[in-house]
Amino acid sequence: MVSPRRRAAIELVLDNLVWFILAVVLAIFSIAVPNYFQIGIFANIVEQSTFVATLSIGLSLLIIAGYMDLSIESVMALAAMVVGILFAKSGVGIGLTLDPEWLIVPASLVIALAVGALVGASNAFFVVRLRMNAFIVTLAAYIWGRGLVVALSGGRSAQELPPALRFLAIERFLSFPLIAWVSIVATLAFAFILNKTPFGRHLLLIGGNAQAAYRAGINVDRLTAITFVIAGAMAGLAGWLLAIRTSGATANLGVGMLFQAFAAVVIGGVSLKGGVGSLTGVYAGVLLLASIQTAINLMGLPAHFTQLIQGGMVLVAVLLDTVKLSIRKKLI
Amino acid sequence: MSTEPLLVLDGITKNFGAIEALKGVSFSMRGGEVVALLGDNGAGKSTLVKIISGGLERSGGRMVYDGREISFSSPAEAKAAGIETVYQDLSLCTNVDVVANFFMGREIVKRFLGIPVLQERAMEAVTAKAIADAGTRIPSLRTNVEHLSGGQRQAIELNRFVHWGGKLVLLDEPFAALGVEQTRRGLDMIKKVAAQGIGVIIITHIMTQAFQVADRMVVIRQGQVAGDVRTAETSADEVVRMITGEAAKAVPGTREDARTTGVA
Ligand SMILES: Nc1ncnc2c1ncn2[C@@H]1O[C@H](COP(=O)(O)OP(=O)(O)OP(=O)(O)O)[C@@H](O)[C@H]1O
Ligand SMILES: [Mg+2]
Repeated sequence: MVSPRRRAAIELVLDNLVWFILAVVLAIFSIAVPNYFQIGIFANIVEQSTFVATLSIGLSLLIIAGYMDLSIESVMALAAMVVGILFAKSGVGIGLTLDPEWLIVPASLVIALAVGALVGASNAFFVVRLRMNAFIVTLAAYIWGRGLVVALSGGRSAQELPPALRFLAIERFLSFPLIAWVSIVATLAFAFILNKTPFGRHLLLIGGNAQAAYRAGINVDRLTAITFVIAGAMAGLAGWLLAIRTSGATANLGVGMLFQAFAAVVIGGVSLKGGVGSLTGVYAGVLLLASIQTAINLMGLPAHFTQLIQGGMVLVAVLLDTVKLSIRKKLI
Repeated sequence: MSTEPLLVLDGITKNFGAIEALKGVSFSMRGGEVVALLGDNGAGKSTLVKIISGGLERSGGRMVYDGREISFSSPAEAKAAGIETVYQDLSLCTNVDVVANFFMGREIVKRFLGIPVLQERAMEAVTAKAIADAGTRIPSLRTNVEHLSGGQRQAIELNRFVHWGGKLVLLDEPFAALGVEQTRRGLDMIKKVAAQGIGVIIITHIMTQAFQVADRMVVIRQGQVAGDVRTAETSADEVVRMITGEAAKAVPGTREDARTTGVA
């Protein structure tokens, strides 16, 4: 038996393990890697994390509810391409302008969210209504989503979004660009929803035991469908941010981010079995991946080192999960 | 006890493909009455309970509850109508704590700018009181249920139904994992609940439990009512014979009743 106070302290560390690891890793890099310890570098890590962090929100919610969504990367690219085609001035962009100019911000945002939500709703239809396997349904959407991006753009790119939109990637608040703040705010908002509202509580219950949740009168199907739509919309948001950052969209935009998101989700402490996870932990997981990438870049190592290390980290994260569980068992 | 029947089952049938799990079950009960549902393994008891609680759809027959003919298409509807159920395979989410399980689907919230926010403190207080009232010992209400023993888990489910009350409570082998003392408390809980006018259907294989708590015994055999007797007017031997089927000829009256009311 451990004293309650000591136990609470251990629980606190276990619950926020990824933040502690992030702090340690940043400290080590700051000492060992020349030029790492700079506000500019940290700001850059946060900026880099914007897109994967936003993508990870919906993925985390779905995994917590006991499902998954492989389509988010393609949905992100699709939303980015639609925004690019509508509002970019060159390439495949048709350069729509609005009056007043600033209307482009809400208009493009709503369009990106709607594109994402639409694909999410389609996934929800197949998974919830037709009871098809989420892995297969979203894998299909991952494939056709990317296909649609190529089809819409003819394989070309859209370039030059207007300054009325670009300022979000350029203007900074507290040394982070505004788009990074969008992903931070979105993460915090959904962390609040997950931890403090009945909707989030019910997601955890469904992930833990969907049968029990159903018997308790929770509308499991409706909640699951809404979560798929949220995941799609958040992928749409990621696409909007990515389009603004890259000032347009290319046909292969964001390839590989799905796996980074998966890695971050696992490192962040979300259990692939469902029912367990926190969004702030996932955000820390994204930051951790980005800080390692930055360190590798600064050390001038070839880029494939990043992949090697990130792959290893996913394994370590899963291992850590097992260790955490056995420590918890001993605490009881 | 009220005089109006709380629940009337009339010729309830249920098929699982070619399997006829229920072949026309009829009986009725009043509020405040405790009915023990007895029968061998596979007799159809759990199936019947799931049909009443909205977990399964019946294949045929009528169900009148609280004066209205009803047909629940989900447990949510049955719950809204005041039917609480403790299932044979427990219905807890082991990944969350005791409080979250206790309030599953009925969380206390406060609205801020229209956003419902969970009131953890309030929920913990209510849970603590309910658990203490029932004399259940659980080390911490904030531990995840996966760390609790089978008996503690069952106690949570029992406390849950006592707390939420309703009009009809269905208990499918609720004491299977409980120790002697906990079972005694459980039986007391049932009596207390019934004294409030709530109807109770309890499934059990343990004859002494049935005799301790039930006003009536309904025996199901191979999907049919094989006996419906007042506890005061029967004996353990007679009930056992009804369960095994040897009593089929000994109590023709009840079988006749079942058949005539059973055909709708
Ligand atoms: N989902 C299902 N699919 C097919 N058959 C089923 C299903 N559920 C129950 N049955 C069958 O219906 C019959 C009645 O089962 P039920 O679970 O109601 O029995 P029971 O009386 O509760 O038994 P026990 O005392 O063992 O709990 C059994 O033959 C069982 O195999
Ligand atoms: Mg049963």
